[in-house]
Amino acid sequence: MKFLRSPQAAPFLLLLPSIVVILAVVAVPLLVSFWTSFTPYNLTRPATLYDFVGWRNYRRLMGNSDFWWAFGRTVVFITIALNLELLLGLGLALLMNNIRKGERTLRTIMMFPMMFSPILVGFMFKYLFNDAIGLVNNALFDLYIISRPIPWLVDGVLANLTIILAEIWMSTSVFAILLLAGLLALPKEPIEAARVDGCNPWQVFRHITLPFLMPFIFIAMTIRSLDVARAYDMVRIMTNGGPAGRTELIWTLMVRTGYQNSQMGMANAMGYVSILLSIFFTVYFYRKLVAARSFMGGAQ
Amino acid sequence: MTKGLKAALVASVALTCAGGVALADDFDYGSFPGYTLRVKLIGGTQYENLYTRIPEWEAMTGARVEIVSSKNHFDLDREIKQDIAAGDISWCVGSNHTSFAPQYGDLYIDLTDWIPQSELDQYVQGTLDSARVDGRLVQLPRVTDVSNLYYRQSLYADPDNQARWQEEHGTELAPPTTFDEFRDQVIFFADPPNLYGTAFAGKDEGASGRFMEILRANGGDLFDEDWNPIFNSPAGVAALQWFVDIYNAGAVPAGTVNYTWDDIGQAMAAGQLALDLDWPGFAAFYADPDSSKIAGELGFALAPVGSAGVRGAWSGSHSFSVTEACDNKAAAVSLAVFLTNDDSEMMEAQAGNLPTRTATFGEVIDWFNANDQPYMADMFEVWQGSLAEARTPPLIPQWIEVSNVLWPQLQAAIVGEKTPQQALDDAAAQAREILEDAGIL
Repeated sequence: MKFLRSPQAAPFLLLLPSIVVILAVVAVPLLVSFWTSFTPYNLTRPATLYDFVGWRNYRRLMGNSDFWWAFGRTVVFITIALNLELLLGLGLALLMNNIRKGERTLRTIMMFPMMFSPILVGFMFKYLFNDAIGLVNNALFDLYIISRPIPWLVDGVLANLTIILAEIWMSTSVFAILLLAGLLALPKEPIEAARVDGCNPWQVFRHITLPFLMPFIFIAMTIRSLDVARAYDMVRIMTNGGPAGRTELIWTLMVRTGYQNSQMGMANAMGYVSILLSIFFTVYFYRKLVAARSFMGGAQ
Repeated sequence: MTKGLKAALVASVALTCAGGVALADDFDYGSFPGYTLRVKLIGGTQYENLYTRIPEWEAMTGARVEIVSSKNHFDLDREIKQDIAAGDISWCVGSNHTSFAPQYGDLYIDLTDWIPQSELDQYVQGTLDSARVDGRLVQLPRVTDVSNLYYRQSLYADPDNQARWQEEHGTELAPPTTFDEFRDQVIFFADPPNLYGTAFAGKDEGASGRFMEILRANGGDLFDEDWNPIFNSPAGVAALQWFVDIYNAGAVPAGTVNYTWDDIGQAMAAGQLALDLDWPGFAAFYADPDSSKIAGELGFALAPVGSAGVRGAWSGSHSFSVTEACDNKAAAVSLAVFLTNDDSEMMEAQAGNLPTRTATFGEVIDWFNANDQPYMADMFEVWQGSLAEARTPPLIPQWIEVSNVLWPQLQAAIVGEKTPQQALDDAAAQAREILEDAGIL
């Protein structure tokens, strides 16, 4: 009691509401879900929450080739999608930065894809790439480019590329907005000095603009690598991981296991293995971010 | 007795009489003034029309209905499972389905304890039987699904097609009566990309269910009486080979392995399919010139039989259930019966759904004939003919889980990654593991 009334207690007391909220909405669910990954917890049989089965779920996962294929495919999906989104977002931001008229309108238009729910994007791309009645195949037929329909969402390579395309369409503008914010904050003096010194536009971009943008790029990459699981709804609508598991991502597998099959214990075990993936990407991008910031601070 | 009370009494007697005449049945819907009944109902245009009758029930019983959740069935299923997991069942009536019901354990009451037998006798008995789980009537069916054939009459009436078919097969061109004929005809009609023979649901329970239907038509089944998976039998391999044959022949859109019912419906309505083995709900859509290019040429035929000479008749029913945790089960049962009584079933049938009350079939056929929609009357006559053979998927809690290991393997065989035998053996091994874990094997 004495401590609670002392000035030293003030920071703890002020932080207490935040600590309680964080414990309630983050720590407790994390601990409970971690516990369930060691049980055969079935949603419709709540009593199974108390049956401890040790590492059984994790052991089964280690030998489950479907899971590892989905895991590997998710890593490839994230890597390709994020890098392409970065390149296209950077290009869009650079173009937007040079526009002097109607930039607000264009910026708003650029944000449209972000406003669509992933489910709607999934339906839209599913119908665009439907092999029989889809817009893409019909256009290719009318232009005499193809004579037989292309099975966009069936072929292993094409289906994954189509999903990546939908993801890029939906999320590139996130990169563009964040990088545009970086460009708008870019000091003009170093660029003008470089031009006076005879640098060409590529040299200006490579040695001044890009290093300045790197912290923004890594922040955008970190945010997107954690947020990319939003693509679940889109994939669920477009292929639900099929056909024959060709587009199965760890998210579609987890939701099917946890909700449709009610095996929440196993689904949480999958979740904890995939958390390793998220931690890897987050740590990697943060280290890059710190390096980029120290570069900007003149340490190197 | 005050004037007001007298008026209320007279009004309630009048309402009861009027209700009794209108409903023409003996069920007592009771009186629950001031009570609020919380319900979770399936959402979507085709399901919500029925809910316009709820104010009528509210006026009759004095209760109020609060719809606390209205979602598509997959989301509703997820939400109900979360409620079970959280031990928070604060609602009374829920939409259900024969494929989902076994998963919910003892969530719902046995309705035979609450509804008189004379009332239950008015439902189609086969449909009511399939609504039981472990002998308990846990749901009251509102509409039934069973698949039969839609076909385009112009293709069958075309003299060139008739001559070509006669030359190739030595028989007259007519809607198929066996799955072998069905396969031959979809290959015969296919002229991609303008016309495909048919399309099938290639993922989720739609794929597993259609496979099960052909498997049963071939004399096989998913499980033996001890719940050993036996769908990798020769009958199962032949059923899966049927899908592989039409897929490899290019007689179905390549994307059909990702199709669900909506995709098939859109393709048929766009005039891209010659035949469609599908549920009755599409009849009105296909017959509507505003939404369909095949409106004037729609034909109906019974589903084909398999090599065992029987129909698989994969069937399921949407339904209403009442929770054990409900604090006013009488009111909840009252609403469930009201939403499946003769008037409600007539409303469902007029929208093109298969009703679950026996009397409704005759009435709705007369109604469609009287309202200048003879094609809908034809549809009901054909679909009613297949109800006697209708069979649901196995009514065990693990059915959806088994289905989820089965359909990816079916896809693997259809797109050529595995042979049908390999795919079914793999699926059977996974299904065995599920049933062993559940303690059934």
